[in-house]
Amino acid sequence: MDLNFTPEELAFRAEIRAWVAENLPKEISHKVHNALRLSRDDLQRWARILGKKGWHGWAWPRQFGGPGWNAVQRHLFEEECALAGAPRIVPFGPVMVAPVIMAFGSPDQQRRHLPGIMSGDVWWSQGYSEPGAGSDLASLKTRAERRGDYYVVNGQKTWTTLAQHGDWIFCLVRTSTEGKPQTGISFLLIDMKSPGVSVRPIVMLDGEPEVNEVFFDNVEVPADNLVGEENKGWTYAKYLLSHERTNIADVNRAKRELERLKRIAKAEGVWDDARFRDQIALLEVDIVALEMMVLRVLSGERSGKQSLDVAGLLKIRGSEISQRYTELMMLAAGPYAAPFRQEAMEAGWQGEHVGAAHLAPLAGSYFNMRKTTIYGGSNEVQRNIVAQTVLG
Amino acid sequence: MDFDFTDDQISLRDAVQRWVDKGFSFERRHGIAKAGGRTRDVYAELGELGLTGLAVPESHGGMGFGPVEAMVVMEELGRGLVNAPYAQGALVAPALLAAAPEALRRQWMPKIADASALVVLAHQERAARYRLDQAATRAAPAGGGAWTLDGAKSVVPAGDEADAYIVPAHTGNGIHLFLVERGAKGLAVTGYPTHDGARAAELKLAATPAALIAEDGVGQLERGVDTGIAAACAEGVGLMDRLLLLTAEYLNTRKQFGVPIASFQALRHRIADAKMELELGRSMSYYATLKLGEAADARRRALSQAKVQLGRSMRYVGQQCVQLHGGIGVTDEYVGSHYFKRLTLLETTFGDTLHHLGEVSARMQNTAGVFA
Repeated sequence: MDLNFTPEELAFRAEIRAWVAENLPKEISHKVHNALRLSRDDLQRWARILGKKGWHGWAWPRQFGGPGWNAVQRHLFEEECALAGAPRIVPFGPVMVAPVIMAFGSPDQQRRHLPGIMSGDVWWSQGYSEPGAGSDLASLKTRAERRGDYYVVNGQKTWTTLAQHGDWIFCLVRTSTEGKPQTGISFLLIDMKSPGVSVRPIVMLDGEPEVNEVFFDNVEVPADNLVGEENKGWTYAKYLLSHERTNIADVNRAKRELERLKRIAKAEGVWDDARFRDQIALLEVDIVALEMMVLRVLSGERSGKQSLDVAGLLKIRGSEISQRYTELMMLAAGPYAAPFRQEAMEAGWQGEHVGAAHLAPLAGSYFNMRKTTIYGGSNEVQRNIVAQTVLG
Repeated sequence: MDFDFTDDQISLRDAVQRWVDKGFSFERRHGIAKAGGRTRDVYAELGELGLTGLAVPESHGGMGFGPVEAMVVMEELGRGLVNAPYAQGALVAPALLAAAPEALRRQWMPKIADASALVVLAHQERAARYRLDQAATRAAPAGGGAWTLDGAKSVVPAGDEADAYIVPAHTGNGIHLFLVERGAKGLAVTGYPTHDGARAAELKLAATPAALIAEDGVGQLERGVDTGIAAACAEGVGLMDRLLLLTAEYLNTRKQFGVPIASFQALRHRIADAKMELELGRSMSYYATLKLGEAADARRRALSQAKVQLGRSMRYVGQQCVQLHGGIGVTDEYVGSHYFKRLTLLETTFGDTLHHLGEVSARMQNTAGVFA
């Protein structure tokens, strides 16, 4: 047992750190460090910078043009990016659909889609949830009917994150109503510019249109865009979930945000209030404990000796922590949490701030983070999964 | 960064487990507790296994193992609900004596290693609560490098079974650490059973002869206590691990409304939350153990962080597992309730959650995380 990274791993970290320091645009990290609004251009600019280096698909194997890093190296990369104030890499392309295309897609699909994902040029969205299919995802109803060389897709997806920017969307669609609900689902890649696709933004608690409804009205999708076999989509989606591991804890971002919380607490005069400060101390313990749990998983993955089935725990804890730091920041703002001025969340806004500039985004971030215990399998569903590992 | 155990560490774990399975049934433990909690026989058996020499340097007849081996043993002793003062006698005492003059070490270390002597830390005082930098007990020079102590120490673990005590006392020139032998003149020891099936004692010292261990009493005491915190964390993990298992078995067998109560979601979610606390606790137990070798500041901060997590985890898992058992969970005859009692008293060992939260709060820095 050893807590420390090896000299090789530390050298790797230093290399990443230097590269990020050199290549992450300051105006973007400024926005991230201050929770200011990030535009599509900001996100895509960073994605393309990474893509040029071959790191936008940082978890990809060499075979598909990725760096072929192991679990620890991937973690170090994620940590260095987060601490430096890089935006989160929008996961739908490089983290979610790419591994499915690699594992189950045709060589043609791989040639066609993977380069655009790696380069950051093509923006992907995820079409899973529907108005009637949330936690019970397998009850989804969006239909895809085979007609010759095409599927004709009809239905509606919802909570589709950043779909207003999307070029392509990967969807779970119903291709059969026979048997169990899970067995009639297929995994389809859909060009969002296809006739019949429409996107309607949903304004969220913080006033931002972060998610969307996506409607499919007789959308013709070439049959070649089916990934793998018809009616096997559920298996592929589950494979994707198993691919999403320590990342879901988001502990690196939590570390960065805890530092920001401390700065805000000092500026607002609550750092020296023992009652408030103890709450920060508790959060710090929570974050160290979560990070240790992540490191245990990474160590187990690398050595292959102990496999830890704790993905549900990481999701629950990581999401609770992300809610807690935004909550404490908002509480630190006190009455200054109230002003709702979206213009004050634009970098470079020249108007007069109420109180101080750092206060403007705090309540919005708090409201925004309520989603984290709901999305990606609500924390109640995660508890069912965790309980299953203990009770059978 | 590697959290795998070596083959030797796994063998050590297995050896302790085998002894627990063969020699330390709940019936035996319950009998000991009912008879007043005397465990010197049990301690001697741990000595026969060589375990009491684990942290004693090889030059003094021990095995000279490190914190990870100590953690492995403590987890197993926790799992087995072993109520002998192993952490106190075999881990904390050698850590404290490491700074003693050679003669004192030569006198006591080999006896600790073969369990012929039980040496325990006697540092708690009525007014100091968990603070290590306060001692009303006074030390006065008695000529020729000898000292005498006056004062009182409280809730000394296995106090009336021990052969010697490590006692912090104020000299007027800071807190020093001393060794006091059980038979020393002017020492009155009053023992009593504790809620976790073991024993403790009140010590009164009146012009009691003592040998100086170290002048930097607080620094050395902190080192010893941090060793004790890591041991408490590991024991807590073993206790929680087994208690959660017992509870899961119970939920799967107990039937109400015609079905196993494990089928009720309200109870399942409680189990999920207990599993969370266990795994966070396990993670921080590793952290505590692996940070023991760091410089004092980083070490103290890490150990306090770990004790905060374990304090919360142990209380949650203990209380919820009792609740999930229903009536049987609050009876003396059921093994689970004794896990709960031990978990409860571990929280108050070497500083409780609020005390250590205060330490974490006072030691916070700008950066955060495992390596901060």
